[in-house]
Amino acid sequence: MTLSDSELERYSRQLVMPEWSGEAQERLKRASAIVVGVGALGSPAATYLAAAGVGRIGIVDSDAVELSNLHRQPLHYTPDVGGAKAENAAVKLSFLNPEVQLEPYPVRLEPTNAGPIVAGADVVVDCSDSFATRYLVNDASCAEGVALVEAGVLGLSGLVTSIRPGRSACYRCAFPVEPPEGSVPSCREAGVLGAMAGIVGSIQALEALKLLTGVGEPLLDRILQLDGADLRQTIVATERRAGCPACAAVPAAAESR
Amino acid sequence: MRTLDLTGVICPMNWVRARLALEGLGPGEALTVRVDPGEPLESLPRSAEEEGHDVTIDGDRVTIVKR
Repeated sequence: MTLSDSELERYSRQLVMPEWSGEAQERLKRASAIVVGVGALGSPAATYLAAAGVGRIGIVDSDAVELSNLHRQPLHYTPDVGGAKAENAAVKLSFLNPEVQLEPYPVRLEPTNAGPIVAGADVVVDCSDSFATRYLVNDASCAEGVALVEAGVLGLSGLVTSIRPGRSACYRCAFPVEPPEGSVPSCREAGVLGAMAGIVGSIQALEALKLLTGVGEPLLDRILQLDGADLRQTIVATERRAGCPACAAVPAAAESR
Repeated sequence: MRTLDLTGVICPMNWVRARLALEGLGPGEALTVRVDPGEPLESLPRSAEEEGHDVTIDGDRVTIVKR
């Protein structure tokens, strides 16, 4: 797979990074990512994945754009209110980078469709806003052996971790007890500042690009906690949990990417 | 020895193309590029040196030996 002249120009400022290479760029072009949720985290995450040249991006979101979303979801503009988020995001991202194949999935992620949607992807970026969906995405990504970037943001604090199923701790290894529904406020009920979500979603894109290219060191077996109030960060070590119902039985994924 | 005419190609696209050509070479193999005087002739050799390659300049020809 070779890069066209316009691709070389489009990606020139990353192609000149000492850490990057034509090979890394071609790996991205061959790669497929699924972004679950294209709201506060998914807007920046999907934007940077598309801009960087990930070949195929599937966008899963069943919601419509609401006025109260716009302060933190920069892919959606005021005239988009009422439209489907997945399709709106795909349109915007196709303007940004027509080289990318965009696949909107205007559906809610359920136990019945999660496996088929993530299967075959090279990375899943979980930008969902509920614990139920987060565990579902974790379990489906583990079952399909797909690398995953998990994150959450609430108010001014956020966390991010990356997962290679079968090789590093999954979300359920780190947080084995699912909070009962309603016990933790989702960002629907609690406040969140758009700029903070933008930082966390951008870190998710960075992690996904690292997982796809092999550049750098993803947050495997590590959880980054970031406090936007003072911008202090903490990294907490995690490890695989024997008997984890999500990932204990997953064979280590091939060392392909 | 591989050669590449990068005259008329501005920074940083000239270095993008030189880097891609270097990727196809093994350590110790050389790439000679022709670049325009001015910024390209000043900047491209420096970029190559910063990545650890050996660089020699002869007129408008820059020879980069891959590290």
